[in-house]
This record gives sequence, C-alpha cells and structure tokens, in this order.
Amino acid sequence: MSSTYDRGTVESFSRWQEFSAGMWAWLLHKFTGWILIGYLFTHIAVLSTATQSPEMYTDTLQGLESLLIVRFLEIGLLAVAIFHILNGIRLLMVDLGVGLESQDKSFYASLVLTAVIALASIPTFLGGMF
Amino acid sequence: MAEHYSSFQRGTWRWVLQRVTAVFLIGALAFHFVLLHFVNHAADITFAGTQARMSNIGYFSLMWLFLVTAAFHGLNGVYNALVNMGLDGTRKRVVAAVLVISGVLLVAQGTYVAIIMSGVLS
Repeated sequence: MSSTYDRGTVESFSRWQEFSAGMWAWLLHKFTGWILIGYLFTHIAVLSTATQSPEMYTDTLQGLESLLIVRFLEIGLLAVAIFHILNGIRLLMVDLGVGLESQDKSFYASLVLTAVIALASIPTFLGGMF
Repeated sequence: MAEHYSSFQRGTWRWVLQRVTAVFLIGALAFHFVLLHFVNHAADITFAGTQARMSNIGYFSLMWLFLVTAAFHGLNGVYNALVNMGLDGTRKRVVAAVLVISGVLLVAQGTYVAIIMSGVLS
C-alpha cells in the first residue's frame, strides 16, 4: 500500500527543476483535467445552438470548422484528451499495484504516445482546409 | 512504493467514484473522438447526421451517460484538487455548492440538447 508523499509547496514555481517524473505526471494530469472540464461546458454551449434551429446548429459547427485556428485547437484538445486517458490508465494501474517499479517509464511512454498520435492526426484534422 | 502523487485521499467515496467513472470515460471519450473526428469528420457534421445518431436509443443512452460521468469526474476532480491545495472551511462549502449547482445545470442543459437532437422534441 502506498502512502501520500509530502510534496511541500509544489505550486512554488522555482521548485520545478526539482520535480520528479511522478510530480510532472500529477501536474500534467491536473492541467489536462482543468482543460477538459472547461471544454465540456464550452462544448455543451456550442451544441445548444441545436435548441434554436437545425440550420443554426449546422451553420455554427461548419462555421467553426472553417477556421484554421479551430482545427489546431482540436489537435490540441486531442493531445490533451489522449494524455489524460493514457496517464489515467497509468494511475489506475498504480492504484491496483501493477507496474509500480515502471511508473517513470510509463509516464514517459504516455508522453511519447500522445505526441505520436497527435502528430499522426494532423492530416485528418486539417483535411479540406487547404 | 516510495512516492505517490494524487489530489485524492484513498479509500474515500470521492476517490472510488473518480476511479469507477474513469474506467467508463476511457472508453467513452476515445469512442466519441474516433467517431466524430475520424469516422465522421467534424467539418461534415450536420443536424440531420447528428439526429440520425441520436435517434438511436443505444447511442443516445451512451452519450447521456458520457455527459453525466464526465460532468461528475471533471467537477469532482476540480473539487479534490482545490481541497488538496488547502481549500477549507466556509470557502470549501461554497465551492462544493457552486460545483454541484454547475454540474446539475450542465447535465440539465446537456439532456435538453440531447433530446432536441434525437428529434423527440422539435
């Protein structure tokens, strides 16, 4: 059984150079989590155009998709979601006591896999823009 | 195990429910992204296509459950992160109330939107 580590004031910016892989994983999980819950509220707000009329819904979504910045934001959102999923699986494994000795490696693997999937998705997300 | 970083206190109900919803959300979020960005491209989405998907009771149920679990998981995560950062006393109770109300409103609006999308109401 693990014990909670007294990490002190990690929110102190000057301490970032002392952070271990586990601490970076924890901070990145929080950061991506804040983005995802913020996006959920935004997502429902945009989809709520469906309550006005079918045309407004279609026009709003297609209007947003015609903007290059939105396509890039979608790639960013995908990267955020993938990291949160992969690191979340890693956290579940840690809670189950699986692979405790490989926590650092699994964090680095999450980062690499996130980058690979996000980069590979670029043609799909930018499709039809140019 | 030497070090363990988490915003959650193990063994609490908030911790258990965060893990249970996480297991469902791993599959639901991946499915949602793949279906609406790789199978159907977001730029091609129309109300008619959305209605075709949402009029299927299985898909509708999955999306509604996705909304509820994502809202809980996200807001529970925010609450535990803030408590972990030292939120206490009256401010803790106010934040809890604001997050619960936000979650209820989000799920209510999302449910309304989902029903409109399904074509049951128009």
